[in-house]
Amino acid sequence: MKRPVCWSVLAGALVVLTVLLLAETVVVKIQSTNLRKEPKFYSQTIAALTAGNSLEKLSSQDGWFQVRTSAGVVGWIHSSAVETKKFNLLAVDKSMKTQASAGEVALAAKGFNKQVEENYKAKHGEANFAAVDRMLQLKISPSDVEAFLREGKLGEFGGGK
Amino acid sequence: MKAPRYWLIAAVACVFGVGLTGCSVVEQGAKILTDQGKIKESDRASIVKTSQALRSTFSEITDQEEYYIGRAVAALVLSKYKVYDNRGMTDYVNVLGKAVSYSSDRPETYGGYHFLILDSDEVNALAAPGGFVFITKGLLKRCKDEEMLAAVLAHEIGHVSAKHGLASIKKSRLVDTFKILGKEAATRYGSKELAELTGIFENVLGDIVESLVEKGYDRKYEYEADKLAVKFASGTGYDPNGLTRFLKTMVGGVSGASGKGWFKTHPSAEDRIGKVDSSIGTMAKVPKILPIRTERFAKSVRGLKP
Repeated sequence: MKRPVCWSVLAGALVVLTVLLLAETVVVKIQSTNLRKEPKFYSQTIAALTAGNSLEKLSSQDGWFQVRTSAGVVGWIHSSAVETKKFNLLAVDKSMKTQASAGEVALAAKGFNKQVEENYKAKHGEANFAAVDRMLQLKISPSDVEAFLREGKLGEFGGGK
Repeated sequence: MKAPRYWLIAAVACVFGVGLTGCSVVEQGAKILTDQGKIKESDRASIVKTSQALRSTFSEITDQEEYYIGRAVAALVLSKYKVYDNRGMTDYVNVLGKAVSYSSDRPETYGGYHFLILDSDEVNALAAPGGFVFITKGLLKRCKDEEMLAAVLAHEIGHVSAKHGLASIKKSRLVDTFKILGKEAATRYGSKELAELTGIFENVLGDIVESLVEKGYDRKYEYEADKLAVKFASGTGYDPNGLTRFLKTMVGGVSGASGKGWFKTHPSAEDRIGKVDSSIGTMAKVPKILPIRTERFAKSVRGLKP
């Protein structure tokens, strides 16, 4: 009876350790974003981040994660900009209910990508990608949004969150 | 003996799951353990089934894929409509939309939120996956103040945030895609795979455009987007009754297949107003409309009025 006990302790410790390690790492999943000094979009930018950057998660607050970059810079990033590397343990033995997938970020370049778009574009001259590219050029800076909120007594300057 | 086996399965799945190498590794790992007699065939099947389930729902579409799908859907929308070329008004809609997105459940998307005014008198608003949002000049004319426009944009941001466009993709497309992706990783596809993927891409776009422009989303998604509109608009500080007031301008319009624009693709305004009112009714504190915002709205869209 010694063997099963040994297995369970070892495997259990491994699971706990893995989960602890995983909970700490998040990966940027959007094209580009900024690391901010405070947990709000128009807070001062302290580092530029791009898709695939790994960050160490330190804490969370109202949908924001406090993280440390590989260069050691500590700041805030919104949770919707990152993928949390985790695997839902409960789903393995019980149900199929799971949202998170390991490797999602690694697979990001696969599937529908630039190459597929180019191929599609070549066959569909009617699709107006030029207009989409111009639409993407419409850029509003967070400080413009801050001024807009302030003037309209919105967000933290008025009745909002 | 049950407990140790449970832990073993969990540990194996966890460790392999971490490997950033995808589901096939989970499947291989499960097979090795089965071969060695460490886990039963039924457990192996369960692990493999779970790992496959992970890759066959729309929520598994990556943000980058969503961006490429959204770009193409937007390109198709922009082949049907002309852009209303007014930089000042477009900037105003963008800053307003961006402000509302900050209070949404999903402020960050792969390519960010972008808003365009379409040169059409039809009353319509559309959102392509990933944050490409369109409103028509006709819709803008219906809005009498900033709260109404904020509510409409919040409704569209709700569709993006809850990924309703992706949810309208038929499941079979995803299964087909993942069959191709299940093969080894490559940054560039060979011509056969590329042709297959492009074919699926066309079908995916067809599914979304059909919902967006022709049939409309499932009603439950429209009601959910209204609920999210109330949440996001009030979270920004807007009076969410802007949505009710906007919907009231739509009462009496012909909805369903014979209607146009929003009338064609959305449930009747009457049905929506009741639901919106009850969701506002549950709020502890409802922000109030402010004249300063109504004034800047009037100033910003002045060029529209005849």
